[in-house]
Amino acid sequence: MTGDVILTFAADAPVGVAPWWVMLIPALPMLGVILCTLMAIAGVRSKLPAWVTVGCLGASFVVAVAMLLNHGEGAAVAKAWDWFHISWGDAQGQQFNAIFGFYIDRLTILWMLFVTGLATLIGLYASEYMSHDVGPGYCRFFVAFNLFVFSMACLVMGANMLMLYLGWEGVGLCSYLLIGYYYKKPSAVAAGKKAFIVNRIGDLGLALGVYLTFVHFGTIEYAELFASDKLAGYLEHASHGDFSHIPLAAQVIPMLLMVGAFGKSAQLPLYVWLPDAMEGPTPVSALIHAATMVTAGVFLIARTYPVFQVSEYALPTVAWIGGLTAFFSATIGMAQFDIKRIMAYSTVSQLGYMFAGLGVLTSVGAAAHVFTHAFFKALLFLCCGAVMHGFAGQLDLRKLSGLWRMKGWGIVSITMLVGCLNLAGFPVITSGFWSKDMIMAEAFVRPGMGPVGWLLLITAGLTAYYTFRVFFRVFVGPQEYHPGDELHDDGHGAEHFHPHAPGWAINSVLVILAVLSFVAIPLVALNHGGWVGEMIHGSTAHYEAHAEAGHHGSVWLAGFNPHAVMYYISAVVGIAGILVAYALHLRGRTSAGEAPAAEAFKNALGPVQRWAEHKWYVDELYDFLFRKPLWVLSQIFRYVDMLLVDGLVNTAGWIPSALGGRLRRGQNGVLQSYAASMAGGLALFVVVVLILASRSG
Amino acid sequence: MLELVLCQAGYPEPMASVTLAHYLVLSAAMFVLGLVGFITRRNLIIMFLCTELMFQAAGLALIAFSRYHLNLDGQTFVIFVLTVAAAEAAMALALVVLLFRRRESLSSEEWAELKG
Amino acid sequence: MNSVLIPVSLALPVVFALLVAFMPAERARGTALVGMLLSAVPVLGLLFLFDYSRAAEFQFAASVEWAPQLGLSLSVGIDSVALLLIALTALLGPVCVLGSWTAITDRPRLFYSWLLVMQTAMIGVFAARDLVFFYMCFEFTLLPMFVLIGVFGSTNRKIASIKFFLYTFTGSLIALAGLVYVAWSASGHYGRWTLDIGELAAAARLMSPTEQGLVLAAMLAGFAVKVPLFPLHTWLPLAHTEAPTAGSVILAGVLLKLGTYGIYRFVLGFVPMAMVEHAPFLAVLAIIGIIYAGLICWVQTDVKKLVAYSSVSHLGFCVLGLLAVNTTGLSGSVMYMLSHGLSTGALFLMIGFMYERYHTRDMGQVQGLASKMPVWSSFMVFFVLASVGLPGLNGFVSEFLCLIGAFQSSSELVAAGHPGATAGALGPWYAAVAGVGMVVAAMYLLIMVGKVVWGELVEPAGHDDAHTGLPVDLSAREIAALLPLAAGCLIFGLFPQPLLGAIEAPVNVAVRSIEFEPVDVPHTTEHAEADLQVGEVAP
Repeated sequence: MTGDVILTFAADAPVGVAPWWVMLIPALPMLGVILCTLMAIAGVRSKLPAWVTVGCLGASFVVAVAMLLNHGEGAAVAKAWDWFHISWGDAQGQQFNAIFGFYIDRLTILWMLFVTGLATLIGLYASEYMSHDVGPGYCRFFVAFNLFVFSMACLVMGANMLMLYLGWEGVGLCSYLLIGYYYKKPSAVAAGKKAFIVNRIGDLGLALGVYLTFVHFGTIEYAELFASDKLAGYLEHASHGDFSHIPLAAQVIPMLLMVGAFGKSAQLPLYVWLPDAMEGPTPVSALIHAATMVTAGVFLIARTYPVFQVSEYALPTVAWIGGLTAFFSATIGMAQFDIKRIMAYSTVSQLGYMFAGLGVLTSVGAAAHVFTHAFFKALLFLCCGAVMHGFAGQLDLRKLSGLWRMKGWGIVSITMLVGCLNLAGFPVITSGFWSKDMIMAEAFVRPGMGPVGWLLLITAGLTAYYTFRVFFRVFVGPQEYHPGDELHDDGHGAEHFHPHAPGWAINSVLVILAVLSFVAIPLVALNHGGWVGEMIHGSTAHYEAHAEAGHHGSVWLAGFNPHAVMYYISAVVGIAGILVAYALHLRGRTSAGEAPAAEAFKNALGPVQRWAEHKWYVDELYDFLFRKPLWVLSQIFRYVDMLLVDGLVNTAGWIPSALGGRLRRGQNGVLQSYAASMAGGLALFVVVVLILASRSG
Repeated sequence: MLELVLCQAGYPEPMASVTLAHYLVLSAAMFVLGLVGFITRRNLIIMFLCTELMFQAAGLALIAFSRYHLNLDGQTFVIFVLTVAAAEAAMALALVVLLFRRRESLSSEEWAELKG
Repeated sequence: MNSVLIPVSLALPVVFALLVAFMPAERARGTALVGMLLSAVPVLGLLFLFDYSRAAEFQFAASVEWAPQLGLSLSVGIDSVALLLIALTALLGPVCVLGSWTAITDRPRLFYSWLLVMQTAMIGVFAARDLVFFYMCFEFTLLPMFVLIGVFGSTNRKIASIKFFLYTFTGSLIALAGLVYVAWSASGHYGRWTLDIGELAAAARLMSPTEQGLVLAAMLAGFAVKVPLFPLHTWLPLAHTEAPTAGSVILAGVLLKLGTYGIYRFVLGFVPMAMVEHAPFLAVLAIIGIIYAGLICWVQTDVKKLVAYSSVSHLGFCVLGLLAVNTTGLSGSVMYMLSHGLSTGALFLMIGFMYERYHTRDMGQVQGLASKMPVWSSFMVFFVLASVGLPGLNGFVSEFLCLIGAFQSSSELVAAGHPGATAGALGPWYAAVAGVGMVVAAMYLLIMVGKVVWGELVEPAGHDDAHTGLPVDLSAREIAALLPLAAGCLIFGLFPQPLLGAIEAPVNVAVRSIEFEPVDVPHTTEHAEADLQVGEVAP
């Protein structure tokens, strides 16, 4: 099948043929989908679906590792079959081709490694976490879980933009199904719906971007696109800062693609679905809504980085949106009480960092942050999940305190501390510190991006504060707990509640993730990006600073090399945030709910605090601006359709019947009147004839 | 008025002899009598008789023209009409009897099913 | 030997209709099922014996002289587009019988014989190569549907059936005037009467632009009502809500496609230049329909009405693809005809199965069926996703191609040197606005699923599972009706290429027959391209 000349490769960008077995990476999760579906049909009531899933995903991870070891330079394509192949001529652009196949380069490999790896670990975690639901629900969960990994593989590995779109919507679907997993809960159903619909808005932008790419470049296959002379020409112009010779169409493409990225990666103004998505089971939040799926937007931009570079405004827009999102959602996260929501807002905020990183042209920094964030955020979510699992759904940080003293909660507390240190960017010993620094330093370096850098720096402080707010309230301090409302029906009320500490599956996954978050340090920290940097430099996401080679050495920040000085500044900011959290939430706190310093601080803030707690009323604003008017418009349309459009039709039908109604009065059924009218008619006829005769005669 | 019309058409003076015009006037009178009777009366039998009257008026005119033109077609036609009328009378009266049995009345107003 | 296949596939359903009519009532449904399945055999023969390398030619031609002095004949023949639509019809036939198995208990013989007659009429429309034969079949489809709705429908069935009949019939009569005008004008050209569609198409292009415009208007009066194109759609929600399940399946699955097929075969075949000239206006109507009907769906409480309005919205994409008059758009449109038949037909079946159990279609009264009917719910979610246009399922393939077709179809973009653009009168803005329909579709369909499938179980007061005489969840018979459709949705989505390849030749013939004014494609210098404005493509 690979014999078909589908892809024409430019000589300077050799695209090889990838070995067939890379297709196992999506195929194995698909096998998991099929097996779990069969188990659902067969009514399996054991943990078998979880083991099958872990097996399939683990095998998929092994294949990904093999792909890493096997891969040389450049890119390779593996084709499964022709998906779309429509032709109306022979010239370039007169065929619409999209293969169902996979494009393998280092960016793909980097992403697939942590996607399959984390999916395996979180699948293991979920086997225990979801154990209360063994039966049809358990099968359903793992069907969607496998389907997610399959879709994510299509998204990341797809050989063209249509495959990316397939995966893009596929992960959206799985997200919808998994957020709404507890389908009897109206809030979960609403959250799933919201996620899908908001994502669809982004998807529309993505779809239009794909259309425009095809119309302008005549192809949507990555291999052809990245090798096209047209794109190379544009890049040449762009590297000299000369955008006037790049057609507007080419500059609009990234603008459209980024709308998709903003939707999927929950950036302003489309971020609203992600916090609500926490209605899903926690493993889902960890895998989909923290580590992997939400980084798809980052992946999209990284994958099509050359296309983004040919636009004058695309990457600055991405940087600004990223910076603003990071800051904005951090302010919301500071005022929340639900620890999972706090983590959700921190995800939005960290995704903002990644976008800012892409925007300020450090794709290495962005990818490194995706990579480290995937581990420590998954870890944080899974810790929250363990708490939620153990305390009957309790997530309010005012109802829990001092968990580390409780029996069986040591591992959770320690791993949580590791996660928090990473998120807060605790200097040197955490991977989060290194990846975040790369982005912030680069923002200060890039001309015109200083304000974004300041936003990110302030956000770093806020992040450290709200992260340790959670830790200081929930895991240390006086021991106290109140169970949540998901009490199991075991005959005991809330007063007899005993938290059940996590078992081996959860604990081992937490430990592995904590270790991985340290392992990531050398992978991202050495020599400006380390291994991740190598992976990025060997892919299309690589950015060559042609004209700006001088900037890296330039002295800017208070007379120092920003890359060097940023380590100290961000370390200070991070530690300061942690200290503030300590002062407000741990010092002098006597019970779970009472933190006098925090109360005082809250009162000092006045209404601002309340606004932040209500998420700056953005949901209400959207409701008022979009949903309500649309609803009203729909109702108007409904009545217009009933009364006006259908009314006209009915009027058209009514006219003949009304006319007939008039005429039928003549038909009175009286024989004599018929005779009279006949006679009258006859008389009239005779008179007319006579008159005509007399005229002519 | 009628005189005037007939004179203008070149017809002979009245009372000269019995001319075509006399037959035609008689025929017209019979027809009008039948018509008026049909329209004004409600009794089905009378109405039927009135139609017969109109029939015979037409027949009379046909015979008169036949004689006037010395052509037997008209008379032949009237023989046919009379035959058919006889059969028709039998049918019609039978129908009237049936209708009477249904409603115990001979009034045509009983039968207005065709009212739209 | 091959030439008998189409006549046989036309005759078999009628033969079985007669058989059913004279059977004992209790054996009507079984006979009908056997009839539908046997009638599908010659269609399978068509599918396998069709020569796909000459897909644009009309194969299996057969002809019987009827009134040669008028050029009338009963001639049939199919290209790949017609073939696939016939295959869809044959597939939906048995599905309809299975779907009505327990729903139709009163006068089953009447029901099933008309259902079988319907098959013949629909296959006749797609297979006809003679204008009058086409029109006869086109109009004859009204009669079975009139009976199906008027006799077997729900409360307002009389009004619905009369409105359906009169509305579409009036439109078709105007279309007849246009078609006859084409025949008359062709007779002047050939010096003899001919009603052969191929000959007429060749002659119709010689008409003056004014004539072409008038013929276009006349034909659209018939076909746009059938599609239905906004604002001629109001008969559809009424007819769908009142029709029995099988009626809705046939109506959505095939009857609406008669309109788009008519536009494809006759409007595009006879007066393509007039169509291109008026494409922007018609596209605006289609786009209004997409969004307007979509928003109306949002505020419906009756599930069936919602799906009916969603058909109006969906068919807007199909028409948009036709108006793009390029290969992607037309391929997408033909794919849309097939895929909409599968997914929306299946949705109507799903609703029918729900209605049989609860006797209501009100989303306020039936909610949260996932916990009670997991199999039903799984199928429902699956078909809704197919309808939403999720990649990997059928709806995506067709919707995507229609939209990209509309996006490309811009002579201005061709002139500006974009390699992927094609000659046409639409452009990016049309696709962008129509694309909003994708968001709206996700909105109303997921809200519907959110109510009916997810959430706490709500059942109508006094509902008793035992009284329905049906299993709580889907029976094997019902699953058997759904499985072919589900398989079709999945296969079309993942492997559309066989279908796309099959229809490529006729679609390209249709596209190439349009003589666009030649566009000057500038030599692509960077300076020329720099002036290009994507935004300025609206005609």
